[in-house]
Amino acid sequence: MDVLQDELAKLHGNANLSQSVQDVEKIIEQLERARESIVAGKSDSVFYIRNGGVCETLRGKEGVGIFGQFIHTDVFPDPSSASITLAKIQNPIKSGFEKVNDDLKKVHKGQSVYGRALDKNFPVKALPTEYDALASHPSLINRAIAMHLLREGQFSVASTFLDEAQDNPPHPIPTPGSPRPADSDSTDFTSLRSQELQVKFSNMYQILHELKAHNLHPAITWARGNSIELEKRGSNLEFELSKLQFVWLFQGPEVNGLPADSNNGLEGALKYARQHFGRFQGRFLRDIQQLATAMAYKSNLRSSPYYRTFDTETAWDDVSSSFTREFCSLLGLSAESPLYIAATAGAIALPTLLKLASIVKEKRTEWTTQNELPVEIALPKSMIFHAIFVCPVSKEQTTDSNPPMMMPCGHVVAKESLQRLSKGGRFKCPYCPGESHPKDARQIIL
Amino acid sequence: MADHITSKLNPDTHLILDQSLIRLPFELLRKNFKAAHFNVEKESTSVKATLKETTQASLNNASPDEIIKNVDLMLARMRGLKRKLNACAEEEARLHQQLQSRVRHLGELYGMQSLDDVKYEEWSRTRLDRLLVDYLLRYGYKDSAQALSKEKGIRDLVDVETFVQMSRIRESLRNARVTEALSWCSENKKELRRLESNFEFMLRFQQYIELVRTQNQTKLLESIAHAKKYLLPFKDSYPKEVQQACGLLAFPPGTRAAAYGELYSQSRWTTLANLFMQTHNRLLALPSVPLLHVALSAGLSALKTPSCHSLHISSISPTSASSITTSVCPICSTELNDLARNVPYAHHTKSHVESDLVLLPNGCVYGRHRLEEYSRKAGLSPDKFKDLRDGKVFPANEVKKVYIS
Repeated sequence: MDVLQDELAKLHGNANLSQSVQDVEKIIEQLERARESIVAGKSDSVFYIRNGGVCETLRGKEGVGIFGQFIHTDVFPDPSSASITLAKIQNPIKSGFEKVNDDLKKVHKGQSVYGRALDKNFPVKALPTEYDALASHPSLINRAIAMHLLREGQFSVASTFLDEAQDNPPHPIPTPGSPRPADSDSTDFTSLRSQELQVKFSNMYQILHELKAHNLHPAITWARGNSIELEKRGSNLEFELSKLQFVWLFQGPEVNGLPADSNNGLEGALKYARQHFGRFQGRFLRDIQQLATAMAYKSNLRSSPYYRTFDTETAWDDVSSSFTREFCSLLGLSAESPLYIAATAGAIALPTLLKLASIVKEKRTEWTTQNELPVEIALPKSMIFHAIFVCPVSKEQTTDSNPPMMMPCGHVVAKESLQRLSKGGRFKCPYCPGESHPKDARQIIL
Repeated sequence: MADHITSKLNPDTHLILDQSLIRLPFELLRKNFKAAHFNVEKESTSVKATLKETTQASLNNASPDEIIKNVDLMLARMRGLKRKLNACAEEEARLHQQLQSRVRHLGELYGMQSLDDVKYEEWSRTRLDRLLVDYLLRYGYKDSAQALSKEKGIRDLVDVETFVQMSRIRESLRNARVTEALSWCSENKKELRRLESNFEFMLRFQQYIELVRTQNQTKLLESIAHAKKYLLPFKDSYPKEVQQACGLLAFPPGTRAAAYGELYSQSRWTTLANLFMQTHNRLLALPSVPLLHVALSAGLSALKTPSCHSLHISSISPTSASSITTSVCPICSTELNDLARNVPYAHHTKSHVESDLVLLPNGCVYGRHRLEEYSRKAGLSPDKFKDLRDGKVFPANEVKKVYIS
């Protein structure tokens, strides 16, 4: 890329059209000067026309080429200022145009040098465009984009987009991958539905904004309002928020900058704990005990065993991200924009897929697995979301129709492998000496 | 066997979706140069010729007014040339600037070590915004595209003008107008010939069909002249179409001959619009489908697992986050779930599960540590486990160990 940058700088510095503009300007100047002198000579020329005979003989004898000489030698008075002026600028203008052409050649050369550098450092790779499963579902993509914009807080762009998409609904294009464009695609991602989402997300951004300003109250109110769902998810967000509030108050006005009254500092924290921690006693008794004991160490907290609990360095970012996660989860959405993750994963997967395509083309084979990609694509750890079970016998991933089965010995194989191994009778586990009957194996959900 | 987890970033192979980013301005730069060159060529020949003629005329006693008129003519031509060249130079400067920003943007990737790099995330977000703008522009949502690129400050990284111009011509074709498309053809005559594109011929053919459609005497005569001028010269390249064109005169609209009835169909305009798009994209070396489609097709497949459209609410791998509650998988999320239905799922050769799995009596399997943590937070005593999916509580001694090989 550095090479390209250098080449580009060269292109920008040396091979541009500004020189040719200047040279064209020079030609214009010459023409203008010529015009002036012709206009100036116009009164004289009347004389020459009257004495046409002289000119005639001159011309007949000497020809055009000699005129320059007349001027230099100054033998005759200007016979026809116009024709001399014109003759005089013939060559300069011609060379002027040559100059312009040279300028252009230089630009052209610079561009081809850059083009070669581009080809060398950035060779063209064909995109796998022949298979496009998405062209038949533009309305679904539109919906995904609208939701992406909303969740990223780009409300004005989102509403522009919704209006435009409403006015010009996309035309689904059938593809070989999915021959019939789904008519059932819900195109009803109407403004009503999006408004609802927008309200929710603007609420989320509001709360996040407050969190950034170290104000926990809106977040706590939200968490309390949704405490049942949160608990079902095994989330302790509400308690984490309350705990942070306690810690925040505990640190007193020097740290939190809140007014130094009875609602702040140790006193305020205690008051807060009395008021709010009661409801958490069942689930978080240990944490509450810790917080309470820590109060005794108020004066030398830094050297106390509770120092970690009171370290708010990262705590704010942590609660912000877990708040975002829980908020989106309750809406049935992932915390990160799926569009972002999918596009990134796509960019990571493409080199492998392109390599595969080239091999397939070279070997003139085709892959027949319709449901599964033919190659493994390595993704960063953060992009693996589900437990994946690959049957150790058949090396296939388990699916709804071919679920994982656990034998009494605790080893797991896919259902189809189990049937093939056992042939209906007792069989030995392929991984241990344990023998069992297929009916003893049970389906598990990973 | 390749490992299924990676964080390696190889910039050279990673830049696949970004090719048109630096190719398109270069194509435009070349086109711009050609336009400049063409103008210089045209004006220089004409001015040189006029100069010669005028000189000649001045020797033959042309009136001074005549000469001045000619000089003025040359001046006007040269000033026009200067104006055009200036415009080209400005466009060139803009494209240089654009190329610089783009090369710099792509160059940033070379400074990153891994896919987990925070900078990569930021870069990738900008890429998504680019892909979105590309998609919006291709579908003709130009206001949204402009709004998004403005909001994100990525104007130098997207090609709004090119696509707006394209959608304008495409729209005019959809509205059964050929003027814009024809002028585009004449602008790009040489390149189209090099591509051996049939687009201009198809436009002329459509014009012809429209003339015949009127069934008006003068228009029919006109249509014959039109065919002679624009269609017949191509009878070797497009014999079928030329024959059809000839035959069409015998079949007025509403004919029952299917082959000719089709020619009168309005859907031909949509076909023409699509043909235009293809030709346009080929000419500028742009990918034929929105880049977002390419990225998503690959990405959805890479992320999709059989669990994503499973009947069971799938447990979520705890690898994605440190806490026990995790975020929803992007394929399971509402945005992409329906979209991902048609793509194949990722291929895996290794199981990827939590360590120390245990089976609850109801058939669900979890990592022991996570189960303990969850149950503790639910306020249960240590001898009880609570299912993460349906919330049922089981005695801890009823779980069984699961071995995944």
